[in-house]
Formats: sequence, structure tokens, C-alpha cells
Amino acid sequence: MVQVKTWGKTKRALSFMQKRAIDIIMLVVAVFWLIPTVGLFVQSLRTGADIGQSGWWTALANPRTLTLNSYIRLLSEPTMLRALKNTFIITIPSTVFVVGIAALAAYALAWIPFKGREALFLVIVGLQVVPTQMAFIPAAQIFRLMGIFGTVQGVILFHLAFGLPFAIFLLRNFLGNVPRALLEAAQMDGAGHLLMFWRILLPLAMPAIASLSIFQFLWVWNDMMIALIFAEPVNAPLTTAIFSQMRNFASNVDVIAPGAFLQMLVPLIIFFLFQRQLVQGILGGSIKD
Amino acid sequence: MRLNTRLFTLLLALLVVFVGAAAAEEWPDLSGQTVNVVALWTGDEQRKFEDVLAEFSALTGAEIVYSPTPENLATVLGTRVEGGSPPDIAALPNPGLLQDFARRGFLVAVDDIVGDLVDQYYAPVWRELASVDGKLYGVWYKAANKSVVWYNTNIFAEVGAEVPTTWEEMMEVAEMVDFYGITPFSAGGGSSWVLTDWFENIYLRVAGPEMYDKLVRHEISWTDPTVIEAFEYLKQVLGRPEWLAGGVEGTLEANHPQGIIKPFVDPPQAAMVYGADFSVSAISTETNAVVGEDALFFPFPSIKGSPAAVVGGGDVAVMMKDTPGARALLRFLATPKAAEIWASQGGLTSPNKGVDLSVYPNEIVAASAKALQEAEWFRFDLSDLVPQEFGSTAGTGMRGGFQEFVRNPDIEAITRQLEEDAKKAY
Amino acid sequence: MPTLTRSAAAHAGRRRDKRKHRLAALMFLGPAAIVLGLLVYAIVFTIGRSFFDAYGGYVGLANYKRVVSEPRMLVAIRNNAIWVAIVPAVVTALGLIFAVLTERIRWSAAFRMVMFMPLVISSLAAGVTFRFMYAGNPNEGFINAVIQQVVHVVKPPGLYPGGRLSVEDFAVAVDGGFESREFVQVGQQANFALAAIRPQLIPETATELRVPAPSPSGITGVVWLDFLSGGRGTRGQPDPEKRGLPGIKVEAIQDGKVVGKAYTGNDGSYAITGLAPGAYKVRLSPESFRQPFGGYYWLGRDFIIPALILAYVWINTGFAVMMIGAGLSSINRDLLEAARTEGANEWQVFRYITIPSLMPVLVVIFVRAIISVLKIFDLILVVAPEPVRADATVLALEMWNAAFGGMNDHGLGSALATILFLLILPVMLSNIRRFRLEQQ
Repeated sequence: MVQVKTWGKTKRALSFMQKRAIDIIMLVVAVFWLIPTVGLFVQSLRTGADIGQSGWWTALANPRTLTLNSYIRLLSEPTMLRALKNTFIITIPSTVFVVGIAALAAYALAWIPFKGREALFLVIVGLQVVPTQMAFIPAAQIFRLMGIFGTVQGVILFHLAFGLPFAIFLLRNFLGNVPRALLEAAQMDGAGHLLMFWRILLPLAMPAIASLSIFQFLWVWNDMMIALIFAEPVNAPLTTAIFSQMRNFASNVDVIAPGAFLQMLVPLIIFFLFQRQLVQGILGGSIKD
Repeated sequence: MRLNTRLFTLLLALLVVFVGAAAAEEWPDLSGQTVNVVALWTGDEQRKFEDVLAEFSALTGAEIVYSPTPENLATVLGTRVEGGSPPDIAALPNPGLLQDFARRGFLVAVDDIVGDLVDQYYAPVWRELASVDGKLYGVWYKAANKSVVWYNTNIFAEVGAEVPTTWEEMMEVAEMVDFYGITPFSAGGGSSWVLTDWFENIYLRVAGPEMYDKLVRHEISWTDPTVIEAFEYLKQVLGRPEWLAGGVEGTLEANHPQGIIKPFVDPPQAAMVYGADFSVSAISTETNAVVGEDALFFPFPSIKGSPAAVVGGGDVAVMMKDTPGARALLRFLATPKAAEIWASQGGLTSPNKGVDLSVYPNEIVAASAKALQEAEWFRFDLSDLVPQEFGSTAGTGMRGGFQEFVRNPDIEAITRQLEEDAKKAY
Repeated sequence: MPTLTRSAAAHAGRRRDKRKHRLAALMFLGPAAIVLGLLVYAIVFTIGRSFFDAYGGYVGLANYKRVVSEPRMLVAIRNNAIWVAIVPAVVTALGLIFAVLTERIRWSAAFRMVMFMPLVISSLAAGVTFRFMYAGNPNEGFINAVIQQVVHVVKPPGLYPGGRLSVEDFAVAVDGGFESREFVQVGQQANFALAAIRPQLIPETATELRVPAPSPSGITGVVWLDFLSGGRGTRGQPDPEKRGLPGIKVEAIQDGKVVGKAYTGNDGSYAITGLAPGAYKVRLSPESFRQPFGGYYWLGRDFIIPALILAYVWINTGFAVMMIGAGLSSINRDLLEAARTEGANEWQVFRYITIPSLMPVLVVIFVRAIISVLKIFDLILVVAPEPVRADATVLALEMWNAAFGGMNDHGLGSALATILFLLILPVMLSNIRRFRLEQQ
């Protein structure tokens, strides 16, 4: 009896220590995951001379050296302001059009019977993973013919082409799960497709549309590759504008660090505001990379 | 002392205003018009250039849209022309590109637009460098003296080193500095031009301007004995990792600004660094060193008795679309005033003779401008003159070769490789 | 009769319905069909274009031959292979470990949030961030700064880091210290002239050097800084004005063993006493000259790929944690409890119940990682400095280089894009197949 008791105690002690060990490991991991972002933030609050002289962590011991000057200067630079504006000009239509067009198409694929529906949907499933590189060269040629190479319209159109397959897939799956009875009842009342789409399915699909919008917004906002090819400098969004400053990495750190932080600020705000939708979106429909 | 300086500045300002007023030209009213400008300046340089553009806006009421394009400028401009939307004004970083664009019909000949100003303010060499088949296509707004070696004056004082004027003296100083306990040199080899410029400066001095021109045109091989000799000098610095701050990897990780500041941080990581006069931007914004006190430069030293020689660079403003705004801006950029706005803030050396040397923020930059004007041998940066595939394409030709030379200073290998790449490109 | 009429009416109605449906389908699908049609056209075009050279001449498979023969392209292929071989496994494994461990901490919500955050950050911002993390100089790069702290605990930098012999006549460098070439007899002197020590490093208390008197029972000598400004003095000679170097450990060595030691004083002099008559090697101990940790060049040629992979893992592990976390919470608790009461230990439960139930999720994560890794592009462009870009390059980067980065070779670019497409094709087909099975 006595022995069993001690054994239990040791076991409890052991598991307590185990728990502590897990806590510590996870703490280390969490700190590692936080440091880069924190580092960039601190760096963006330092002067160019300080950045050249010492690491950002030294500023934590001496917070008085931190200043908002870099941001003030950044936001007084016409190119950066323009890039910020361009980012919105590109991102908002790319999001709205993708979601809008995808919702219409998803409805058709889910509820309008027509020949070749299944095949079309399978093509869309396949298109989801096609690498963007496959379209760069022809798109550049088509855009040149249309006179939109280098413009915001070209960038948006390209985002549209690569945003749609996933968006249609996601919404089609969601709409497909709406109970048939609901629609049949409406059909009995003589409602046409447009009315059913607008009155019944769209409101029902709102959660899916919301999380899709968030993903599409982030995807376009964070894109650098497409903008690098299809947006000439005047139309460049933040990502490529900052990247073009990187040729002289050190001499522009006072632009690059606050610029990069500004670029990630909007996604971070979205992350904190819509965390639930984000997580549900990822778990619900898988995410495109 | 300080009062005097201030008084002097005030007088100077008055003088500038006076001279400016005397030479005043009638600027057209361009309110409501937009002028698109493309150049490769970013960061600190961009801010100063935007000050220049702001002055133009103030004079004419035109709105200026400036797009900094540091990567692939040629490709970007080429595509814009093809797409039917060239900018009004572009600043091209070398005469080769100007020739290329002029021949392809991308540029507007500007003799009757700024010919008078160019004749008035520029030495003939600059008109030549901006002309193709006898026609003028641009204005050299900015020049760079790329034959300077920056050094930390405090280290030189502690070591008791004299400013070197010959290669041998520079090696002696390097040895003294090393003996004292500081790495002699720093190089931002991540920016390949830093390495190619080292070579070009040596080659001009070792082989002379005629051979330099031959090498540009690839009339002599890259395995020529003069090239080998120049590499032997180069190897004394770039082939010696213990003399380079950060060794091989540290040299290649750093790009120009990161390399240029190493002698001026605290504690200093090197004593000398090859650079250009425009490196002043990086030194003054990224370090606490005072340019003119802690940081000075000496002309790239003479080799085998070579006379004053300068390898230079520059940016030429060209007109890609004939609009009233483009005409006015091009004229503006040819005036001394446009140069002085940037020059007075440091980082710009103007080939414009009308620019008063006293507007430069300190004597050394003025000295650099003077050296540029007085050089007995003046040659344009070689890597900017050779075909682009060979001179300025990342990873191959000169850009790749010299970085590889830092890793493996094998003269036989690099000259052979350069010759192979050159053959492909010409 | 009426039946027939009704039936005809129904038939006509159905046909009308059909037409109505077709019209509606066209309306609803129209915009998407145009865009997707362009996309399909683009794919076909690119595949076709890959058989022509930069100027549009037909060259058959020449572009593909270039891809598998040019050294730079081979590096790209090798790098893609490295990424595919390592990253999906690492991301999936880390996701599994963290997801399981998250269930055992009370602050799991906070932990998950921290892990998810990088998912919404652009490659550009993450890349800039990691440039700061990876900088080589420990004064700038955080990772090297941390390593430096650790290294300095074990191997603190010396009093005179980087110091070396001024002339190598009397002594030579051995293992970071300096040792007399010849044996030194008791009663003799051993003097060391050092250089490359900045005067700022020498303690304030140091004075001009003093050559001590010989000692009959030991070895004496002086260690001094041989540098005088302006190149004055004779190298290797204990000239006046030269300063002594205090605090250096001097050892007398016999048969490889340290048998006596002394520290230099403020004037640089030392005396090792109490030595038995005989001959000794005299050595300045290496610890005085040890350099501080100088940092690893994470962004250099040797480490760039691991450095990039770490940045990628940082961005993407959150996704795996999230997916696996959800998978874990849907595992049947009763099953786990049952297994435990049956006597299975935690490992067995994990191995035989948890993992198999998570399999579908793990496969999804793994496959997604393969696709995303094959397409990796902007992270490399941002993180790898220009001189190592050729070492870190991948197919997507070469495609961009070939088509838009100056080479302007649309044929080669198309071939590279097509290769990427072919690599992803199996995933695409299996996605379609899986989906068809699900539909049925």
C-alpha cells in the first residue's frame, strides 16, 4: 500500500514535470515564431544610422531611440503613397469580381441542369493547381494586344483568371449542399433562376462568401510575382514598390522596414478581426497556396 | 566659425538667387498637365531627385509622376514603348542604352530643344556621349566620379598613415592598417559593379585609355596580357580575404551601401573602401560619421605613373515622347539650377559647367566634381559600355565573373570565362 | 386524346424549360467561361510555345534539352528536388508535433494564434523580416547574435582578439597561441612582439614596456605591442614608447605539458619562476587572442537553402497545425479512452489510433506543400542576395528570368513553365479523380 502511494506521487510529479517541459518547449517555439515580426516592427521604428550600427534588439534596452520618423517620411513619399493606393485599386476589384463571377458560376454549376456540367466542373477542379507561370507569356501577349500590359486592369484580369477556379469550386460545394427542398419550394412559386440566386442562395452563402472574400483579398494584397510582371512601376503595388527599393538593401532600410511592416499591417488587422472566419475557411474548404 | 559659415551660406544663397534670376528663362504654364518620369533612383537619391522635380512643378504647374525603376530599366522602358505608353522623360544610366534606344527609334532627337543649353553648359565630351550619328539625344544630368577611395580619417590619424597617391603607397597603408589591427578594405561585392569598377580603374591606369577603348569594343581579348596584369593588381586586394572586412562571404553578402559603411560604423570594420562620390548618401544616412571630418576620400591611386584618370558614370535624361511637358522638363534638367538643388544636398556630381563648385555641401565633393572636369584620362564605366548581356546581366559575364573571382581568385580561370562570355555577347 | 395533348404540352414545356435553362446557364456562366477560356487557351499556348525558340522558329525539344543541360537550370532542378524532398515532410511533421503538444497546454489558443499569424503575411514582408534575422554580423543579425551569446559562454573572446606576432623570427603561431621556435633555457629570456591589436583594446593601466632582468630560477621576458603610429620604431625590437600588454598568460612547456605559468604585468613583463633547470618551449596561451564569434553567413552560398527553408517553414507550419488540430479534435474520444483502459501506452495510442485517423489530413497537407514548394518564387527573390541567387534558384525563378528578367526568351520560359506544369499534373489528375469518386 505504502509503496503504491509513493509510486503514485512520483508519477504525479513526473507528469507535472513533463507538463512543465511541454510548456517550456512550446514557449520557446512561440517566441521563435513571434520574433521575426516583432523584429521587423522594432526595426521600422529606428533611424537608418541606428540600423546600420546595431541590431534591433538593442533598441529594446533603449526605447527612447525609437521614433516614428521613418513612417512619417515614408508616407510623405509620393511613390509609396501611390503604391499604397495602387494596392487598394488592384485588390478591391480583384476580390469583388472574383467573388461575384464565381458566385454566379457556382450557382449555375450547382442548380442549373445543362449538358457538360460535370465535365466543366472537373476542368475547374483541375485548373485550381495550374501554376501561374503557365499563363505569363500568353497573358503578356494578349495584354499587349489589348493595350493593358503594365496597367492595373491587366493585373486584375490575371488575378481574376487564377482566383476564379478555386472560388467557383468553394462556392459550388457550398451551394450544392443547400437542401433541394428549399429551392423546389421557390420554383413552385414560379421564381426564376435570377430570383432564386439573389433571394435564396446568396443570403445562404454569405458565410462562405465572406471567408472567400477574405482569402482572395489577402492573396491579391500579398502578391508580388504577378505585379512584378504585369504592373509597370507607376502602377506597382506595395510589394513590388518595396522590392524595387531592395536593390540597395542597406541604404534604404529606413524605407524598406516601415514599408514592409505597413504592407503586412492590413493582413494582420484582417487576421485579428476575422480570425474565426479565416480558420473556418481554411478548415472548411482547404486553402489555395 | 559657425557664424561665418552661416553668413557665407546666406551670401551664397543670395548669389544663387541673383544668378538664377539673371539667367531666368521663361517657363511655360503647364498646369493640369502630367509629366511621367522614369529613372532608377530610389531611397535617399529618390528624395533628392523629387526635390528637383518639385521645383519644376513650382515653376510650371505641371504634375510629375516619378517611377523609380532600379531593376531591368531597359526592359521596362522597352515594353512601355511597345505597349504605346512610354514615359515623357527617362534617365538612362549609360551611353550604350542611349545608343540602343536611339537606333531603335525610341528617342526624340533634341538638338533644337536643348542644343543651345548643352553647348552653353557642357564640355564637348558630354555632347558626344549623348549623340548618335551626329544627333543629340539627351542631357547628362548626373555624373559620377567612380575613382575614389573612401577612408576613415581617424584610423589614418591613429595609424599615422599618409594619404596614398600611388598603388604601392596604398598597399603600404593597407599593410600598416592591418598591422595596427583593422581590416584594410571593405567591399560591397553583393553589388557587382563595385567589383567591376575596381578592375576598370586598375585597367585604365595599367593599359591606358586606348587599350581601354579596345577592350570595350572587344578588339582585344579578355586574356590579353594587359588584362592579366590588371587582374594581378586586383588580386592584391580582392584575392586576399584577410584584407577584406567579413572575408569572402561577408564581402558577397554586403551590397554597395552595406560595404561602404563598414569603415564608418563604431567600432570600424575596415579602414578604406572603394566607392563613388555618390556613396556620400549611404555614409551620411547610415552612419554617425561626419562626411568631411571622419570620412574623406582620395583619388584612386596612380599605377605605374599613370596621370590623373577618372572612370565615370552618369545618367542621361532623354525624351521618349514629344510633349510640351517633356520639352520643358528636359530644358530644366539642362540648367545649372536643376543640378544645384540635388548637388547642394550631396550625392550628385554635375558635369554642368554652370554649376558653381561652392554649392557642393563640402570641399571633398567639390573636389570630386573638379577631378571629373580635370581628368586627363576620362572613360565611361566599362561594364556600362559593353553589350548588356556581358556587362550588366545578373549572374553571367562581368557581373557573375567578378563575384566568382572573390571566391576563387584564379586569374587564368576568370579571364578565360570572361572571354567565353564576351564572345557569346558580341 | 387529351392525354396526348397534355403529353405534348408537357414535352413542349420541358423543351422550353431546357432552353430556359440553357439561356440561364449561359448568363450565369458567361463571365467565368470567358476568363477560364482564356486560361485554358494560355495553357495550350504555353505548351505549344515551348517548341519554338526566342524568335519564333520551330526547334522541337531544344528548349527542354537546354533545361536539362545548362548548369544554371540543373541547379534550379536540384534545388526544386531538395525542397520537395525536405519541406513537405518537415512541415507535416512539425504540424503534427505542435498540434499534439498544443492539446497539452492551457494557453493553446494563444499558441495557435502565434503560429497562424505568418499565414497572412506576404512573402515580401516575411522575406524582409528574415533578411534582418539572417544578417551575418552578430551586431545586425538576430540569429547570429543569439549564437554569439551561447558561444561566448563556452569560449569567451580574448583580451586581445585577433592579435598576432609582429615578426615570426623568435616565435610562430600554434593553435591560435604563439610558441617559441626553439627551446628556452632557464635563466634565458623569451620576448614576444605582437601586432594587430588596436590600442583601444589595451587596458588603461598598461605602461611602456620593460624588459625584466633574467632570473636564475626561471624564464622571464616581455610581451609588447609592436605598433607605433607612423611606422616608427623597428619591428620586433623592444623600442621605447612601445607599450606592454598586460594580462596575457605565458606558459612554460616541457614534453607537451604546461609546467609553469605567469601573467604579464602592466609593463608587459612576466617571470615564470620555480622551473627545474632545463629547456622549455614558451607559449602565449591562445585564450588571450581568441576572436569573438563572427557569425555564420546564412545568406551565403553554403547556408542559403536551409535559410530559405526555415523561412518557408515559419510561414507555413501554422496551416498544418490548424488542419491537424481540427483533425485531432474530431477523433473519437471513446476510442482513445478504450485503448488506454486496455493498457495501451501513450505512444501506442498515438501510433495506432491517432496517426491512422489523421491520415487523410496529413495527406492533404503533404500534397499542398508539394505544390506550393514547386511554385516557390518570391521568397527566394527577396531573401537571397544577388550573388547567391544563382545558387538558390528554382524553376519558377528561372522561368521569370528567361521570359522577363532580361533574356526575353519566351521559348525557354514556356518550356520551364511547362515542366512545372507537368510536375504538378499528377496532383491535378489525382484531385480530379478523387473528386469524381466523391461525386459518385
